[in-house]
Amino acid sequence: MNSDSVISKSIFTRGSILEDREKKFGWFLILPSLIIIVSLVLYPIVYNIFLSFFEVKVTGNNEFTGIQNHLNIITDPAFWQSVTTSIVYVLFTTLGTTLVGLCVALLMNRKFPLRGLVRSLILLPYVAPVIAVVYSWQFIFDPVNGIFMHIAYDKLHLFTERINLIRSPDTSIYVAILFGIWKNFPFSYLMILAGLQAIDTGLYEAAEIDGCKGWQKFRYITFPEIYFLLGSIILLRAIWNFNKFEEVFLLTQNVKVLPIYTYLKAFTGIMDIGHGAAIAMIQFILLIGFILIYVKRVLKW
Amino acid sequence: MVTSTNLLKKSIFALSIFIVVLFAIFPFIQMLSTSLKYQWDWGNPSLIPSKLNIDAYKELLNIGQAEKEVPQSVLNLLEENTELSKKQKKEILDKYKSTGDVFPFFKFFFNSLILAFSSAFISVLIAIFGAYSFSRVRYKGRGIIQRSVLLVYMFGPILLLIPLYILSAKFGLISTSVGAFITLMTIYMVLTLPVSLYMLGNYFRTIPYSIEESALIEGCSRFGVIWRIVIPLSISIIVTVFIYAFMIAWNEYLFASVFLKSFAELNTLPLGLRQLFVSKNAIWDRIMAASMLSAIPVIVLFMLIQKQLTGGMTAGGVKE
Repeated sequence: MNSDSVISKSIFTRGSILEDREKKFGWFLILPSLIIIVSLVLYPIVYNIFLSFFEVKVTGNNEFTGIQNHLNIITDPAFWQSVTTSIVYVLFTTLGTTLVGLCVALLMNRKFPLRGLVRSLILLPYVAPVIAVVYSWQFIFDPVNGIFMHIAYDKLHLFTERINLIRSPDTSIYVAILFGIWKNFPFSYLMILAGLQAIDTGLYEAAEIDGCKGWQKFRYITFPEIYFLLGSIILLRAIWNFNKFEEVFLLTQNVKVLPIYTYLKAFTGIMDIGHGAAIAMIQFILLIGFILIYVKRVLKW
Repeated sequence: MVTSTNLLKKSIFALSIFIVVLFAIFPFIQMLSTSLKYQWDWGNPSLIPSKLNIDAYKELLNIGQAEKEVPQSVLNLLEENTELSKKQKKEILDKYKSTGDVFPFFKFFFNSLILAFSSAFISVLIAIFGAYSFSRVRYKGRGIIQRSVLLVYMFGPILLLIPLYILSAKFGLISTSVGAFITLMTIYMVLTLPVSLYMLGNYFRTIPYSIEESALIEGCSRFGVIWRIVIPLSISIIVTVFIYAFMIAWNEYLFASVFLKSFAELNTLPLGLRQLFVSKNAIWDRIMAASMLSAIPVIVLFMLIQKQLTGGMTAGGVKE
């Protein structure tokens, strides 16, 4: 029995006046939150769709242009380039964070000395400000001083010369993906660990009696038990990574994922808000499409 | 035989833990190390500086900068010239303390602090009542409200940025510095409200209803119940949610960069750090020291609430 049914028993049986009062009280308490979310989240989203049909002027009147903005966007090769970049970025960061998160969660699910300390340390990438850690990454990959080139070029001879991986357009996406995994794996790890700890230990004991080894235990017990949890975490991460701006923009200017493409269109050079709004809208439609397919195929709702 | 395979297993396990920890904190170690190195030492892969250099920190925190940059000839001149009052002398000396302009750490710190504190405070205050409403009070439509709060998770900041920018521009909110600051504070409050609602709502459900019920029977009002029972019982989670909301606002860059673009005196730490990096004053030890100083408050706060936060995050939704 949850607390709701207890409440209903104790209060609602006393009559409809109380029920009515309860209703008013509930709405009264939620009202401030509701007003804020409707006026500052839902209304702006609708307004964004509205804006996408105009040539927007920050001062003065907007000029109605119909679907011209949308047409301009979807016929622009740079937009599709950006869509491709986004897909690659989202795919690899999401799989990477989940995989690293899963491995770390499996490790951390055991007891060992200093576990508390290790736990707090590995959450640091997730809580530190993006702006404070990007420059450290820049330094690590700095062609002259960085430790990465010191190891990869001087020690392992993987490169023919010391190159700037973050500045060069071909390689910057790999660093951005690695950075995304590093920054967000603690989130996946935390969620997966909570799932692992909820698994009934009796299942493992039974499997051991049946002669299951380590891998088989993972394959036949752990994995099925956390399948839907993993599915939801992947979905959340995919949504969030798709919307990521700062983690890419502050690290490198060369990886133009969709939010950055939108930002550059709308807020730099000749500020073209109407086109920006159109991209943001198309981006949102793409995201909704992905979510619907994913929920049906993977989560089987 | 048994003990040796056990030992092998144990050392592989220890090694994996070590690798994970190293992966997670290496950039922080690198940051600390570089912030303490002299320029000639940067290329040295060792993380321990050959010679300790704390100039970058001194410069950013404005410690002992007074006399350093003043040319000797000016000092002599000031000493010989007896006609100038003390105040005038100080003014002349101040002109040479240029480092404050490179990265006025305290100004940025203060701006970030006010923004993050006030937005987190209002967000948590509103969320306490909202979360109590949909976790405790029964009425039609609360399920829909709960789900629509969830929906907010899906909207990326960029989708909100454009309409909010245009709206605030049309209402004339971003033409004055005060208006821009308050607008930004409100936006941070909105960005942190869903996570506050969720984490608090999930916690309120775990409080046994019988406690509240007995207070009601004793003649306590519904507000009295929230004020005297629910808040005291969940004070630790309230503090946690407050700090989490504070951290989100403290770390935010995108909205700040757009809304505070024309108000340099209101810039937050992330904006200041970005400007330092793209300016001609960008020197690695200075950037790393500034990064350390921006990250430390967040890391300290996080350590304080670490246990509570990880519990709260996994128990319910969490928004970035």
